[in-house]
Amino acid sequence: MESAATTNHMEIVYERPVTLTDTPMHYCPGCGHGVVHRVLMEVINEMGIQDRTVGVAPVGCSVFAYNYMNVDMQEAAHGRASAVATGIKRVLPEKYVYSYQGDGDLAAIGTGETIHTVNRGENILMIFINNAIYGMTGGQMAPTSILGQVTSTTPYGRKSDLNGFPLKITDLVTQLPGAYYVTRQSVHTAAAVRKLKKAIEASFKYQPLKKGTCFIEVVSNCPSGWKMTPIEANAWMEKNMFPLYPIGDLKVPKQN
Amino acid sequence: MTTLSEPKLRFCTGNQMIAEGAVRAGCRFFAGYPITPASGIYKSMIDLLQRRGDVAISAPDEISALAYCVGASMRGFKSMTATSGPGWALMIETIQYALMTETPVVIAFVQRLGPSTGGATQGAQGDILLSEFCTSGGYTIPILCPSTPAECFDLTHKAFAWAEMLRTPVIVLSDKEVGMTSECVDFARLSNQAPPTRKHKSDFASSKMYDFAERVEVPEYLSVGGMGKVTATGSAHNKSGELKKNDTETLEVLHHLEEKIRSRRSELAVTTFDGQAGAETLVVSFGITARTMRETVRNVRRLGKKVSALSIQSLFPVPDEKIKEAMVGISRIVIAEENFSGQYRSVLAPLLYGKEVVGVNKIGSMITPAEIEEQIV
Repeated sequence: MESAATTNHMEIVYERPVTLTDTPMHYCPGCGHGVVHRVLMEVINEMGIQDRTVGVAPVGCSVFAYNYMNVDMQEAAHGRASAVATGIKRVLPEKYVYSYQGDGDLAAIGTGETIHTVNRGENILMIFINNAIYGMTGGQMAPTSILGQVTSTTPYGRKSDLNGFPLKITDLVTQLPGAYYVTRQSVHTAAAVRKLKKAIEASFKYQPLKKGTCFIEVVSNCPSGWKMTPIEANAWMEKNMFPLYPIGDLKVPKQN
Repeated sequence: MTTLSEPKLRFCTGNQMIAEGAVRAGCRFFAGYPITPASGIYKSMIDLLQRRGDVAISAPDEISALAYCVGASMRGFKSMTATSGPGWALMIETIQYALMTETPVVIAFVQRLGPSTGGATQGAQGDILLSEFCTSGGYTIPILCPSTPAECFDLTHKAFAWAEMLRTPVIVLSDKEVGMTSECVDFARLSNQAPPTRKHKSDFASSKMYDFAERVEVPEYLSVGGMGKVTATGSAHNKSGELKKNDTETLEVLHHLEEKIRSRRSELAVTTFDGQAGAETLVVSFGITARTMRETVRNVRRLGKKVSALSIQSLFPVPDEKIKEAMVGISRIVIAEENFSGQYRSVLAPLLYGKEVVGVNKIGSMITPAEIEEQIV
């Protein structure tokens, strides 16, 4: 009796937010997507904006984002997420609109859309998951793959003369006048997750101000594509990606 | 005494054999972008070409991938890219540019379920009309369609030969099942044809970019970065490659773009006819479904039924003479293809006037022998 009573009186301190559906995720073990999904949905839940939020997913590993994110979701054609989000935001200016894209989607095939969305200062949040590889299609070189990185299409490692340099698109969009808040975060430690959550929260709070685009890069991993264990992948990311893609704010709103 | 060469067996996908065929045909330039189910070609070409010191590069999207190839081909490098439905949608701009500038290029198009992103890992033969009828003005784009890894090799080689001979883009229209299924291929039995060669102009000073007397002639090449001044434009142009509107010579060039291909449709025809005396039913198919058809035909003949079969490897230009020959004595024609509307059947319709025409169509999975057999009376 006593143990049952204790159970009944246990306080719930951590649970799935209602904004996240009760669906097992298809992501590989160790992948950062699941954590970013959760943090994003926690913010939407805590801000009480579930019924006023619209998301646009990319082509890539997160094509199934609509399965997990319990808000209106559209999967756009490859690279066009921020363009579809633009259309939605322009006709629904009071809604909270975000795009969620990977490096191939946002920084290769969708570079034009990315640059012009931020340059117009669309009042949306763009979440950019950078794991330096095409995960969904079998581990090909991505625009953000680092020099020397071995992928299925750079069997001898990425070389700048053959494949060009890793594209630091977050640094690029920071230069644009339409960018209001630009930050680079990660999800490999509890502390990093908390910082990302703060960044997402700030971005959604900025959105009704109609001051411009909020852009969050999340430096993430791809244990399957990198052919590493999750622990090895996070260590590789810290050692090789963080020097190139340093964590921190790139542009913060001026204090009034 | 016949001596057979030792078999050289390798376990290969159709995608790998497209890459092997391209290299055998002298392809020295590849540009790609990841897309299922065509990524295997991208990966194989990176491995094969970079090892030889040739160029295989990654593009930021399919728009660039095909444009890189066109640029390389303008210099004389045999070039190829590979994609599937969503990437093809982006290439339509540049394939028209290649056609207009008479620049040879090969596109390996591995079909998957559409429309839009569709089903990346689901097979389909639903891009017959989209791949052929993608040009403003409705010009013929030659399309070859393999059903086995060995055919992937042969038809890719042929695609390069056609592209060079006709100075035009050529499509190898594969599908997910052919492209991604591993099968045993005997390399000793693959055709050992010489790579096609390009005819370059020898008289640089006086020659025009596109010299032809009759519309059906294919002009010799003037490569960029060579001896003579090269002018190419995607806009309507005269024989010198200068942007013009409705003058007689410009319209002549536009007619020439179609006539050089249409006039050769008999020599371009590639089909395999398996006729049976006394048969009144002819089954027609291509790509992966042609294999289902061939199995069906074996099954029904064992039951004592008479049936003829025509596998079509060159979908466009339509091999009309071969189809008419196969139709002699036939009253019922069964056309099997993995799309819901019978896309190639609609293309063949004018040739089949007066016959009983039946389609076997399906989306979402391969057509089975039983589904074709139901239609063989």
